[in-house]
Amino acid sequence: MASIPGNRYAQDEKRRSADHVSFLKHKRFRYLWVALILSLLSIVGYAFIDQEPRPNGGSWYGYTLGTIGLLLIVWLSLLGVRKRKITEGQWSLKAWTSAHVYLGLALIVIGTLHTGFQIGWNVHTLAYVLMLIVIISGIYGVYTYATLPSSLSSNRKEMTRAQMLEALTALDRQLEAAAQPLDREQSDLVIDALGQDVFYGGALARLTGAYPGCKTKRALKRIDPNGSEAEARVHTLLSKRSDQLAQIRRHLRIRALLEVWLFIHIPATIALLAALLAHVVSVFYYW
Amino acid sequence: MAFLIRTIDFTAAGREIVRDRTIEQSELTIGRAAENDIHLPDLAVEQRHVRLFEAGDGMLGAESIGGLGFGINGRTEKSASIDPSVGAELALGSARLVISREAGAPVQITIKQVEKDEGAADALVGFELASALPSKRTMAWTFAALILVLLLSVPIVTHLTRDPVENDPENLTKGQVALDSTWSTGELSLAHHELEENCEACHVTPFVSVQDETCLTCHEELGEHAEMPRLANGMPPLSTGDAIQWNIAQTLGKEGPLGCVSCHSEHEGPIKLEASDQQFCADCHTDLDARLTDVSFGNAADFGDKHPQFRPQFFTAYSADKPKRISFSNKPVERSGLIFPHDVHVDENSGVARMAISLDQYGEPLECSDCHSEWSDEALIVKVTEQGGKPSDFGDFAPVNMEESCEACHSLVFDRAGPNFRNLRHGDVDDLMADLATMNRGPRQPVTAVRDRPGHFGRGGRYSVNFGRPMSAYIAVNRALEKTGVCGECHIPTTTNGRRDLIPVNLPHRFLMKGAFNHAAHDDDVAECVDCHATDTSDEASDLLIPDLDSCRDCHLGESAVETEEIVPSSCAMCHGYHTPTAPWRPEDHDLPGNGGNDTVAAILSSLRR
Repeated sequence: MASIPGNRYAQDEKRRSADHVSFLKHKRFRYLWVALILSLLSIVGYAFIDQEPRPNGGSWYGYTLGTIGLLLIVWLSLLGVRKRKITEGQWSLKAWTSAHVYLGLALIVIGTLHTGFQIGWNVHTLAYVLMLIVIISGIYGVYTYATLPSSLSSNRKEMTRAQMLEALTALDRQLEAAAQPLDREQSDLVIDALGQDVFYGGALARLTGAYPGCKTKRALKRIDPNGSEAEARVHTLLSKRSDQLAQIRRHLRIRALLEVWLFIHIPATIALLAALLAHVVSVFYYW
Repeated sequence: MAFLIRTIDFTAAGREIVRDRTIEQSELTIGRAAENDIHLPDLAVEQRHVRLFEAGDGMLGAESIGGLGFGINGRTEKSASIDPSVGAELALGSARLVISREAGAPVQITIKQVEKDEGAADALVGFELASALPSKRTMAWTFAALILVLLLSVPIVTHLTRDPVENDPENLTKGQVALDSTWSTGELSLAHHELEENCEACHVTPFVSVQDETCLTCHEELGEHAEMPRLANGMPPLSTGDAIQWNIAQTLGKEGPLGCVSCHSEHEGPIKLEASDQQFCADCHTDLDARLTDVSFGNAADFGDKHPQFRPQFFTAYSADKPKRISFSNKPVERSGLIFPHDVHVDENSGVARMAISLDQYGEPLECSDCHSEWSDEALIVKVTEQGGKPSDFGDFAPVNMEESCEACHSLVFDRAGPNFRNLRHGDVDDLMADLATMNRGPRQPVTAVRDRPGHFGRGGRYSVNFGRPMSAYIAVNRALEKTGVCGECHIPTTTNGRRDLIPVNLPHRFLMKGAFNHAAHDDDVAECVDCHATDTSDEASDLLIPDLDSCRDCHLGESAVETEEIVPSSCAMCHGYHTPTAPWRPEDHDLPGNGGNDTVAAILSSLRR
């Protein structure tokens, strides 16, 4: 095929244009349709197939949904393996990702119907809840990847992360010099502000953007901008430092919002696989 | 304008060397070339890199000369405006020029060399969320390990190492298997609620489904619906889908469609066992005779439409050994051996009624309950212990007792001994003979000591006629057992081995043996006795006064009938239980926690769920 120039061109053209199609729109939403049809079939089956004495995971339809759900979960979680293997051709990573997203959504329907709406404090519901956590965090992930990167770049104002840190360091050096005339108490405030790690604050502070223990803010509050000349200068520098910190922290916040789903999605997926194993083994162990 | 240039260097020993010089100019240049006002020997700096100039209002301007940017406060710019009283830091190569001004002093530019920051790239890692959270891998393995250990390994290991017991309804060994309650797919039914923490009581062997044998270790007394091969043969063939399912299930060790758990599914919440619906019975019974040709009863599918005529069990011949079941369609005639016209006894205008009114014991015309009373618990217990069988074998009513129910009118007084009357003993002909043999055969005693017939004049002028019964004549041995004798009032005379005798009375305790009937559920609010038992028109004891199918259908129709004030939709379970076909399905017979009040949270929940 490669020897026929016309075909080769058409093929390359196809690939080029495909490269710019989002994984969500891959092949004209092929996997969205697959997922929709799968969900619809499950719902219709659930509604019309009479399960005695009541629908649950132990009826033949329940086992069927459970098997489909299990296979889907295992396959979808293999995206993590697939994306580390660079391959060409039919099994494109974009197709995998597209299927991962849409079939993952279909799992909400399949999994829920598999439960027969019987929820309890047990390993079975644990697996179901973990599955929902994985899916919901995934939905959040897709949403943030679509919306947050633009705010990330608008916050940067053409500064690299290194420059943000450098700017802070420059301000710190000036503060060090400008604070020389201050008395002990105020000097300590400046020392505290300079000594505090730029990345102080845990994951929660990053996600919310709330840093109640910020020493720079504290120093700003306690050093009188209308005091001595040195105080006024230190105050100005501190407010500059505070602005710079704010930019860094906005960056951290957006980064955190962008990345946090994976910290749920991945551990929850592995926990889900473990819970699934426990679920399946326990069901048949106590058959 | 003056600039104070302060250069700070360090000796090899780390000592600081500070050099100050003042330049009186309105602008100055910074660069690598020696002619610059501030000379920075650094290849990263242009020959003439930046120009600093006065910009009015005490401000300074900074401008790139060669077009290459310079660092100011960490950012790279080509021109910038600087307020020296606030301060700024210029970065050119490795030099940092801090610009500041004290009040009234010249602008001060402090030049320092900075070490190249090797850690800058590392610091960037801090921007990643990963630096503030445990690693994904650590979290993943921790959660997975917790689940696999606590929710999988612990139950399996403790299950495999427990001391198995055959049968533990008392829950003595509960909790031998740890954490397996996390495996429960739902609460057990109320009947099995006690076993909630005792999974291994039912789930005996790993990967083997709950076996009938295990259920029967506790439920050994449970009646079989039919013997096993017969039960299976009576079932209609499974649909293809069901057959495939059961094939798979049985291959994997499940009991078949007739196993306990195929009907009694557990873990569906704290519910009470519910009666099966009509279809459950009709599945087999609608055409059972097609599969079991020797079956002795008719097909049934719906009480209103398809139910065989009742076949009460009673004695069809005098002195028969055993009762027989005869269908109402065959115009049954009961041969109880008793002579008893119900109509006379229940007629409110008859002589019987007058007699009853005159007796303190009754005071008004007879009612059914004067003779037919329900079993007292003690009497029933005595009967059950004497004769064996279950309470349901004895019907709702105790047998009619001659001494209590009849003798007030049908007196067996035959003699007088001083102030007391002597009664014939009832129930045994031999006793009767013995009693009669002792009868005082003297002439009748006058009732009063007055003249006994007109003509015999007496001083008081009072006459009296002895209207007492002609005792000796009437109840003479020969006459008593005759049709016109005292026994013949109610009993049929016969001869046994050439001796006078009576036909024994054979009344069954219960007539409808294969279905249940509850009189309490049909009390006065629902019906009078006579509505079902036609006593008012029956003048012979041979009339079988048990209601037939049609009488019941006056009110009871099949499960799908529309309920009205008259019509009661009735499924099979109202009269027949699956495990007790001759008794109704009555879970209240079981001592269940849920069968007490209906106000427990669990009961309310389960009813809501339904």
